[in-house]
Amino acid sequence: MSEPSDDEVFAHFHDVRIDHDNIAHYRGLMAGRLLINRCDACGTWIYPHRPLCPQCLSWNVTPTQVSGKGRLYMYTFIMQSRDPGKPLREPMQAAAIELAEQPGLRYLSRVVNCPAAALAHDMPVALTWIEENGRLWPAFQPEGDAHG
Amino acid sequence: MARNPLKDKIAVAGVGSTAYGRDLARTELSLGLEAAVKAIADAGISRQEIDGICGAGMTPLAMGGAGFLSLQGALGIERCTWVKNGWLGSAFVYAVEAVFSGLCDTVLVVQSNLRGTGMSRAAARDPFRLRAAQYGDVGGDVGLGDFAKRWVHSGEPYAAMMRRYMHDYGTGQDCFGLMAVNNRAHGARNPAAVMRNAITLDGYYESRMIWDPMRIADMDVPVDCAEAFIITTAERVRDMRMKPVHVHAMSLGGARVGEFYENTLGWTENAFWVALQGLWARSDITVADMDLFYPYDGYTLDAIAVTEAAGFCKPGEAADFFKSSWDFSRNVLRLNGRTEVNTNGGGLAMGRAGGSNLYAEAVRQLRGTEGERQVQGAQTALIGIGSFFHDPSAVVLRGC
Ligand SMILES: [Zn+2]
Repeated sequence: MSEPSDDEVFAHFHDVRIDHDNIAHYRGLMAGRLLINRCDACGTWIYPHRPLCPQCLSWNVTPTQVSGKGRLYMYTFIMQSRDPGKPLREPMQAAAIELAEQPGLRYLSRVVNCPAAALAHDMPVALTWIEENGRLWPAFQPEGDAHG
Repeated sequence: MARNPLKDKIAVAGVGSTAYGRDLARTELSLGLEAAVKAIADAGISRQEIDGICGAGMTPLAMGGAGFLSLQGALGIERCTWVKNGWLGSAFVYAVEAVFSGLCDTVLVVQSNLRGTGMSRAAARDPFRLRAAQYGDVGGDVGLGDFAKRWVHSGEPYAAMMRRYMHDYGTGQDCFGLMAVNNRAHGARNPAAVMRNAITLDGYYESRMIWDPMRIADMDVPVDCAEAFIITTAERVRDMRMKPVHVHAMSLGGARVGEFYENTLGWTENAFWVALQGLWARSDITVADMDLFYPYDGYTLDAIAVTEAAGFCKPGEAADFFKSSWDFSRNVLRLNGRTEVNTNGGGLAMGRAGGSNLYAEAVRQLRGTEGERQVQGAQTALIGIGSFFHDPSAVVLRGC
């Protein structure tokens, strides 16, 4: 499968601020790959999507697929919509996942296939994908159910 | 002649520039970073010697470009005691002011410009520039297309941080509840407050859940309001009509997080801690000397963070500290049996003024003009206002 063109990325993520620093990440999402920038010189993972390594100031930064392993660092349940015209049907979860690649490297997502009461700080989770309005997005589920 | 105390006192130590071109296919941040790295190298310093940043932006909190928040995170600069954005002529002047005043010693100024879609017909055909223009406002595309960007400059992570705080320190929600009870009790005595009814701790727990575990009683009340201040020199104020209130010491704070708040460095590493440490390094008056304390209460979590960062108690110990500091006769906090807290009700009761009503109340209390709610003999006030990530101030005011 060929990589989507810039135009295809802009069209697919019509409601996202695509720029020169993050377009590779979104191209990866279209192919079902979660890419995070990594420094070629010192190995530091860099997030959000920036072109410079904050550890060694190298510009040699490569979007790199992560293992998808992580832990639930912190989470909340959003009980009320910001838009009064679109009330939430059920509480919406938001969860910061600390990726296994590096302490403090976190990706905001959701934990699926898990009852709300079973969520716990630092629980191990693994990457999965969910479909919303015809687009695939990263999500996480309790580890062990990764192939369930 | 006008006063000019900074004459020949401040110097430029480094300069860095990028290429100029009609289409460099780079972001504003990327260009700003290149100029920054070059200026740091030109000055021959370590970037960790930088303790102040003035980024590019038409608003103090401009995001999505080369603002101070993104610059500090992207450059890995650990701690700043002064941060701001500016544009056109202002950024350079802001930086000189900050160094002259002692708020910081070494400022990085970054100004980054992109060829905008409104400035060039060719630029208006570039999909990258069009998309940037579409999301040009402060905050960019917060919470829109990509869920992963939902916590860019968002309040929701504060609820998650509240849950994490309770988990890490094995404490319940009472500290947040007691702060709300305190502010609402003071609000009941403030005729200008929009919330005049006091609440109990039970009432706090009964209040509506918004971002579980954060309740509506944890959140300030949005209102229409304004506050203004006149600031001048200690010499000039002597001849003016009101009793002066002096700025004893102050600091801002910046921590290496950037604008994606899920990357929080942890409870004792957020910008409040940097600001309060910057303050105590400059102040002759200590936390134990405070008659008045005004911790920002955009969320009760902020007020707990400022209380602990100020050193009133150790991290995670606010609940026990508040219980031992409770004045049952008035149902308010008196920290260590002395310090009164948010005597106008703050944002939780008086209304959301972005903290400016805390400055105003501190000034009036130190003048001794607050009538029924005047704290008798109040001479010193500590004010801590801002966010875990941006614009935290720490200020000591004293009366005379
Ligand atoms: Zn590196």
